Amino acid sequence: MIIEAHDLRKTFIAKRGRGKTEEVEAVRGIDLAVEAGEIFAALGPNGAGKTTTVRMLATFTAPTSGTAKVAGFDVVKEAAKVRENIGYVSQAGGVDDNSPGLDSLMLAARLSGMSRKQAQVRSEELLEAFSLTEIANRPAKTLSGGQKRRFALAIGLVTRPPLVFLDEPTTGLDPQNRANLWDEVRTLRAQGTSVLLTTHYLDEADALCDRLIIIDHGKIVAEGTPTDLKKEVAGDVVTLRLKGLEEARELLAAQDYIKEVRAEDDLLRAYLDDGEHGLPQLLRALEERNLTLDSISLDRATLDDVFLRHTGRSLRDAA
Amino acid sequence: MLRHTALFLGYELRFLLRNPIWPVFGILQPVMYLIFFAPLLGSTTPSGSMADVLAMFTPGSMMMIALFGSLFAGFGLINETRNGVLERLAVSPAWPPAIILGRVAKDMLVLVLQAILVMGVAMLMGLRIGVIAFVVMLGLMAMTGLFAASLSYGLALALRDENGMSQIVQFFAMPLTLIAGLFLPVSLGPEWLQTAAKFNPLYYGVEAGRALFRDDLSNSTIPTAFGLLGALAVITLIWSMRSLRKMAG
Ligand SMILES: Nc1ncnc2c1ncn2[C@@H]1O[C@H](COP(=O)(O)OP(=O)(O)OP(=O)(O)O)[C@@H](O)[C@H]1O
Ligand SMILES: [Mg+2]
Repeated sequence: MIIEAHDLRKTFIAKRGRGKTEEVEAVRGIDLAVEAGEIFAALGPNGAGKTTTVRMLATFTAPTSGTAKVAGFDVVKEAAKVRENIGYVSQAGGVDDNSPGLDSLMLAARLSGMSRKQAQVRSEELLEAFSLTEIANRPAKTLSGGQKRRFALAIGLVTRPPLVFLDEPTTGLDPQNRANLWDEVRTLRAQGTSVLLTTHYLDEADALCDRLIIIDHGKIVAEGTPTDLKKEVAGDVVTLRLKGLEEARELLAAQDYIKEVRAEDDLLRAYLDDGEHGLPQLLRALEERNLTLDSISLDRATLDDVFLRHTGRSLRDAA
Repeated sequence: MLRHTALFLGYELRFLLRNPIWPVFGILQPVMYLIFFAPLLGSTTPSGSMADVLAMFTPGSMMMIALFGSLFAGFGLINETRNGVLERLAVSPAWPPAIILGRVAKDMLVLVLQAILVMGVAMLMGLRIGVIAFVVMLGLMAMTGLFAASLSYGLALALRDENGMSQIVQFFAMPLTLIAGLFLPVSLGPEWLQTAAKFNPLYYGVEAGRALFRDDLSNSTIPTAFGLLGALAVITLIWSMRSLRKMAG
C-alpha cells in the first residue's frame, strides 16, 4: 500500500468577519487504500473535499483527526520522510510567475539533493518530455495556462517520486493537451509510479484511473473500479420524457428486467443490464397503458449514474 | 540546511540580476534627501560644516532604505501564498526556514549594496569615515535588513492580504521614522520624545550609525543595536515559520 488512510477528518475554522468564526467540516471521515503502481482518482463536485484530502496526504494540511501513511510513513509524525517520496502538483499549479520555468525546475531538483549537473540532466529530460524546451527560459507569466500546467507537472516529477499527487491536473487544458496529459499519466504508471489525482470530469476518471472514490460533502460515497461501479448501477440507462411521470415510474419499477427507476425533475431514468433487449419490452409496457413519450434515449451507464445513485443528485448539477 | 538557504538565495539573485533596476530606484530617495535636504541642516551641528552634517544625517537616510525597501519585501510573498508556490515548497524536501531565510539573505545583500552606494554619494559630498566604521556600518545595515525583511515576510504570511499589509506597513513606517530621529537626532527634542525613542529598535540603529560616523567606535549603542536587531530578527523569523505552517489552515 502506497497510501493508507483511516478516518481522516478536517474541520476548518473559517473567519466570517467581525471576529466571528464558523466551522467547516471539509473532510468527514475518509478511508483510503491505494496500491503501489495504481492510478487512483478522487471524483467529486466543487467543495467535496478533494483538495483538502490530497493536502492532508501530501503533509500540507494537518488532519483534525484520523491517521494516514504515505509511502510507509505517517503524514504527521514523519512528514519529512513523506516529502522525500512524493511529487505534488497543486490545483493552483505553483509555478513562480516571475522567473523562467527552468529556474523553478532546477531549484526543485537541487532542493531534493541533486548536484547541479544531475539537476541539469534531469531538467532537460523533463523539458523534452513535456515539449517545454523552447519556452524554458521565458518568465512563466508570459506562458499560456496549458504551458504553465505542463511546467507544474514537470516540477512535480523532477525527483522521480514513487507517488505523485495531481490536484485537478487537466483543468484549463484544451482537449489536445488534456489527451496528452492522460498519456503522460499512463506513462507514469508504466514506469511504476503511483498516481493519486482528483477531477470533476466523469470521463477523465472513467478513462484514466484503475480505481476511484467518489467524494461528496467530505465523505466517500462509492469506491471501486470504474467498470465495477457502473456495473453496480446497471449496464445501460434509458432516459424518458413523458406525461404521467408518476404512473410510468410505478409501471417501470414493477418490470423485472429493470433494476431501478429514478425520477428527476421532468424525466425518468430506468437502469437495466441489457438495454438493447429491454428497450422494446419497455416501450410495449408503456404503450399498453397509453403513456405517450415525448422523447427517449438509450445510453451506457456512466459514473454520473453512479454518483446519482449514491447522492440523489447528478454530478452535472451538484455544486 | 545552509545548502537549501544558499539555493533559495541563488534563485532570488538570478531573478534580481535579470531585473537589476528596482534596487537602484530604491536608493534614489535617500540620495535625494542627501542632496536636497542635508544642506538645510547646517545649523543643527556644532561646527555647521558639511562633513559634520553628513555624519549626522547619512545614517538616518540609510535606515530609510531599510525601512522603505525591506519592509515592503514581503509583498511578493502574499501572491505566492495563493498561486501555490509556497504550498509546493512546503511539501518539498526543502528545509522550511530556508524558504524565508533565502529571501531574507537576498534582501540583506541588496541593502548592503544600496548602503555602499549611498555612502559613496555621501563621501563624494564630503563625508569622511574610517574603514572600520564603513565595514561595521555595512554589518549594521545587514542586521537592520535582517530584521525589517523578516518582519515583512512575517506580516505577509500572517495577513496574506495586500491591502491589509500596505495599511499596516504605512501605519508603522511613519511613527518609526519620526521617533527614531531619522532626520534629526531625538536628543534635540523634549524628554518624552527621547523616552519614546527608546522603544523603537530603529532608534538604536540610527544612533549606532551616528556613533560610527563620528568615529566613536566604543559607543555602547553599537553592540546594543546589533543585539537588539538580531534578537528581534530571530523572533520575527520564528513567527513567520509559524505562519507558514498555519497557511494550510
Ligand atoms: N483553508 C480553508 N479554510 C476554510 N475552509 C476551507 C479551507 N479550505 C477548504 N475549505 C472548505 O472546505 C470544503 C472543501 O474544500 P476543498 O477545496 O477540499 O474542495 P474540492 O473538492 O477540492 O473542490 P474544488 O473542486 O472546487 O477544488 C469547502 O467547503 C471549502 O470551502
Ligand atoms: Mg480542489
